[in-house]
Amino acid sequence: MALYSVRDLRKTYRLGDVQTHALRGVDLDIERGEFTAIAGPSGSGKSTLLHLMGALDHPDGGEVVLAGDRIDRLGRRQAARLRLAHLGFVFQAYNLIPVLSALENAAFVLELRGVARKEREERARNALDALGMSGFEDRMPNQLSGGQQQRVAVARALAADPDIILADEPTANLDSTTGHQLIELMRELNEERGVTFVFSTHDQRLLDHVRRIVRLEDGRVAGEDAPAAA
Amino acid sequence: MRLVTALAWRNLWRQRRRSLVTAGAVALVVLFSVMYFGLGGAMENSMYQRLTETGGHVQVRTPGWRDAASLDDTLIDDAAEVRATVQRIASERLAAPEVVGVLDVPALLSGDVRSRAVPVHGQDWPTAVRERRLGGSELEGRFLENPGEIVLGASLARALDVGLGDDVFVYAPGGRGFGAAAYALVGIADLADPSAEIATAWTTLEEAQALAAPDAVQRFEIHGTSLVRIEDDTVAAALAAALSEALPELESLTWLEVEPSMSVLLDSLDPMMYVVSVMFFVLAGLLVLNTVYLSVMERIREFGVIHALGAGDRRVLGMIATESVLLCLMGAVVGTAGGLVFVAAYRDGLVVPGLEAYYASFGLDPVFYVSVEPAQVAFAILFAVVTALAAALWPAWLASRLEPVEAMRFQA
Repeated sequence: MALYSVRDLRKTYRLGDVQTHALRGVDLDIERGEFTAIAGPSGSGKSTLLHLMGALDHPDGGEVVLAGDRIDRLGRRQAARLRLAHLGFVFQAYNLIPVLSALENAAFVLELRGVARKEREERARNALDALGMSGFEDRMPNQLSGGQQQRVAVARALAADPDIILADEPTANLDSTTGHQLIELMRELNEERGVTFVFSTHDQRLLDHVRRIVRLEDGRVAGEDAPAAA
Repeated sequence: MRLVTALAWRNLWRQRRRSLVTAGAVALVVLFSVMYFGLGGAMENSMYQRLTETGGHVQVRTPGWRDAASLDDTLIDDAAEVRATVQRIASERLAAPEVVGVLDVPALLSGDVRSRAVPVHGQDWPTAVRERRLGGSELEGRFLENPGEIVLGASLARALDVGLGDDVFVYAPGGRGFGAAAYALVGIADLADPSAEIATAWTTLEEAQALAAPDAVQRFEIHGTSLVRIEDDTVAAALAAALSEALPELESLTWLEVEPSMSVLLDSLDPMMYVVSVMFFVLAGLLVLNTVYLSVMERIREFGVIHALGAGDRRVLGMIATESVLLCLMGAVVGTAGGLVFVAAYRDGLVVPGLEAYYASFGLDPVFYVSVEPAQVAFAILFAVVTALAAALWPAWLASRLEPVEAMRFQA
């Protein structure tokens, strides 16, 4: 059974009389341990798909099944619990909490889960270490470069040991070298630790080492690639 | 410190000036409240002193004394025996109590040409009681030392047109004593309270007894001369109860029971102070609300992320409430400290220039003995917390109901 099963997923945004069909019936399965990129131009529906897979929003039609349970119609409280317990998020704009240090940011989700201080700090430290951020634990976000901040954001997701990490254009605000390095780190974590990653990007250069690429166009799956190098 | 507490604390300092102004406002409100309670306590103490100086802390009287039609109905005849019992019981419950026998004789006082109907107040005058009674007053001449002497209030002396050394003639018909006497005027008391001064004719208990009721008194007053502040007085009620048990044929009353109207006034002081204090806090609460609201509006995206990461609505509510409580507690600690310093500085007496004469005109001690009760300090701190929670409620609710995706897209 697939970890994620998305069927006929639809989402329309309405702004006054204007309707924008972000997703027009997406079908997608994600297996545990996959490293999958959702690729497509701006406006193709990548972010919307990730938001719906992350129980951050409700679809207008279709279903999202995670580990056998439908998650597309959860109430606020249930959705928050699901996100906290099973999902990790990385956002385009890093979205670290500016008054917390790198270590505290990485430990934040564990704090929300009620993990004891010693354990959460240890896990956060390990996650930062895995992302090459040892020695930066006490730095505040404004003392870190964009790439470093995004690594802390990945560490925040990783430290909580989620079933899957959903990353919405994690490299969009990074230069190409740093973006490439981040994708490489994520791939290593996927290979070495078996962490399931689904990330969106519109940057073709980052897709060379991705095992599976799902291409979205106009809110539909336009096809899948499996680059030879992967 | 928990991470969310650290987060709340650091968030306060993102807008340092705004947080400091708000915490300062809370500090001022708490400071004012503690000072206000302290001055209210001082007013209570003034009333307490006034009442206990003139009437003692506990009185023993005949039943029905308030409605008595004649002097006879108010007399305790076996005074010596009752005094011994009162003295014994009072000594068990008070340090160095003064038991004062009192006899007020309705009389007509005359000088050579003028007369006035004034009760002659005869009582025992132990030094401590006399000093408390005369405290703040000026005495021309001297106090009572020998038999056959009287002290008059200055305005009464003027009304009778008598001076030091003159004879004052007293007529008190209808009693059991001589009914008439001539006293030498040895002292003229300039009391601050004019209404008391015109009715002041003091002599000894023995003289009053000889005049109207040999061996009898109207009441015994038990003066706890070490009791200055109302909160120190924890024994009056118990002493009155013990005396009632030992002297069932008489009525034993605390100072408050003797003056029920003052009891009503004192009982209304505390609620009044609390109401005014609550009004202070409501005003501070509006400022706190504004601060917390602005703080939330500036961090909509951040709260969107926090929701997205899995924080539930209650957790977000708690985060904002924690910020608000920390902000107010910071102010409350500073304000309480300032208030307690004020109370400690003036616990032994504060004289407000310009108010001395005004207070004295009501017969109140012009010295304020500032004091607060622990419950009042606890109220000020507790209400700062309540204010914080109330002020945080709406902004916290707004933040807790944010939709993560919309909030993360929010542009201020």
